[in-house]
Amino acid sequence: MNIKDSKYIIPDSTPELELGPDWLKERRRSARHNFNEQPLPHRGIHLWRYTDPNDLIAFTHKAIDDVVDYNIPNEARKNGVIVTSLTKAIESHLELVEPHLYQLVNSESGKLEAENSTLWRNGTFVYVPNKVTISDPIHLTHHIGKDTSSVFPRTLVVVGKQSEITLIDEYEGGPETEENGHAHINGAIEIVGMEASNTRYISLQRLSHATRMYQTHRARTDKSATMLTIPLAFGGSLTKQNFGVLLDGAEAESRIYGLLFGSGHQHFDNHTLHHHAHGETNSDIDIKVVLKDKAVSAYTGLIRIEQETRNCEAYQTNRNLLLNPGTRAETIPELEILNENVSCSHGATIGSIDPLDIFFLNSRGIPTPEAVRMIVTGFFASTLKQVPEDLRERINVFVAERLEGV
Amino acid sequence: MSHNNALLDFENVHVKVEDKEIVKGVSLTIHPGEVHAIMGKNGSGKSSLSNALAGHPAYEVSSGTAFLDGKNLLKMSADERSRAGLFLAFQYPVVIPGVTVANFMRTALKAHRGQDADMSDFRKLFRAEMKELGVSPDFATRYLNDGFSGGEKKRIEILQMAMLKPKIAILDETDSGLDIDALKKVAEGINRFHSDQTGILMVTHYQRLLDYVKPDFVHVMIGGRLVKSGGPELALKLEDRGYEWVEAEMSQGSGK
Repeated sequence: MNIKDSKYIIPDSTPELELGPDWLKERRRSARHNFNEQPLPHRGIHLWRYTDPNDLIAFTHKAIDDVVDYNIPNEARKNGVIVTSLTKAIESHLELVEPHLYQLVNSESGKLEAENSTLWRNGTFVYVPNKVTISDPIHLTHHIGKDTSSVFPRTLVVVGKQSEITLIDEYEGGPETEENGHAHINGAIEIVGMEASNTRYISLQRLSHATRMYQTHRARTDKSATMLTIPLAFGGSLTKQNFGVLLDGAEAESRIYGLLFGSGHQHFDNHTLHHHAHGETNSDIDIKVVLKDKAVSAYTGLIRIEQETRNCEAYQTNRNLLLNPGTRAETIPELEILNENVSCSHGATIGSIDPLDIFFLNSRGIPTPEAVRMIVTGFFASTLKQVPEDLRERINVFVAERLEGV
Repeated sequence: MSHNNALLDFENVHVKVEDKEIVKGVSLTIHPGEVHAIMGKNGSGKSSLSNALAGHPAYEVSSGTAFLDGKNLLKMSADERSRAGLFLAFQYPVVIPGVTVANFMRTALKAHRGQDADMSDFRKLFRAEMKELGVSPDFATRYLNDGFSGGEKKRIEILQMAMLKPKIAILDETDSGLDIDALKKVAEGINRFHSDQTGILMVTHYQRLLDYVKPDFVHVMIGGRLVKSGGPELALKLEDRGYEWVEAEMSQGSGK
């Protein structure tokens, strides 16, 4: 491949470079510069060992809008919660946007993040004022069109002090077959959880099997804030998602409880990062993977605890259930722990369903397909306990659909 | 050939595990209302026989015949055997994380009744059976056997039997790991289930459970064969004198 190929260069004439106020245009131009000058990520480094970055660079830099539906509970509107496009928020609430935009995911984060930082168009902004508790979820649905396209979603979420929300961030759609090319998504998500806030962020990816997705999520949790991140992935032909939380104040807490179910020839590559930048913080990760047909999954999980950040607790588990031979799962825990005053553990399992479990359920009259469905649903149960009930029911339907013919 | 009105009838059954023959030609007929006990030491083949009859994929019936209420058992898959009226209480019940006891029980009962069956009576039935067995109602929402004590697991096995109402129940070492109170509860559950319409095959090492669930017939299994049969007094004799005298009888060629 030729690095000077147009695929790897965002031209100066790109219309997105003219979007927004001057400071934003400047940020876009500098992001474009970073994209054009940076080499592709090196396949030797852990993050890119399992996926070719060539497959994730947009084939066209002609971006289209990210079509997003907002479902906002009434209590959220009444309490001053803002859900709108980033471009509108920059016009109407610049003071709320400017301190946070590009703080966590920007053109320094990597070549693909530079691509998003240049080319995002409308974006999404969610703002929750201080001391607001919204019990029903705010639900964003990103609709990807049936035609081949490049979309660069960028989402900024700011949760005020002592506030509490659930945000569902759903991605659906895309071409049904790759006959006329695939849809391409490169997304960036920035979430700020201010002091003593409580944020539950649920990412639901159920794109078509002709859609490729790259996504970098970074959240910051301040003092005494909690962040629960729940990545749920079912779709896409090639999905590389990177979920990371910066624990940035004493007693900040982050949990990432994810699940994915791959089938056909789907390829998943997930990374998580827990960065303990402050002492007295704790984190927990539990990623569950089920694969059937020829699906593959790679998971790398990094826990980083700084030298001066003491009394941290960090746990990480990755479990992989392979439903048939021909599937493949990789799991790589990575610990960068620079002091000894921590409590830390990690564990990983890769295996198939125990035939004895199937026999036990059979011996109670339950046919094998139903037994498999029970075991897989059971495997996911502790994760799905963390999501609202109607979403849990939808997920169980997706799981049952995936298991047809097993 | 199946005997008239026998619930479970097997003849000259051989069972192989990983190509090794463990059960070497066993025959037994159980009629409605009968309680049979197969007693034997560890490794005698009694659990292999139980597993093979229930359709465990690792236990291959290499020859012989077996009929459940006149139907050819060996042509059925494990789930078909259950729906046809066979129940195996496991020596080591498995843990199914994330599946609640209630959900599991409902799914099993629905499989027995048919997919379109009315399940509106389930909750009432389930609660009543839990109460009878002295199982606390919060077990309904616990994951199946996850963190249960040995006694709790065995009670939940008996709960399943009570709910599924099989024609024939094979109880594989159901008394193992039970304290005396749990043993009594489990035995009560078995006796409540048993009627002149059902048959029970208890497979056990010890006489203990037989104090509470009275067998009509006792069979001794040694080396993959049923070598001696008798009434309840045989179990007492085994308890008293161990298995050596049976082995001695066998070696003198007077085993039968």
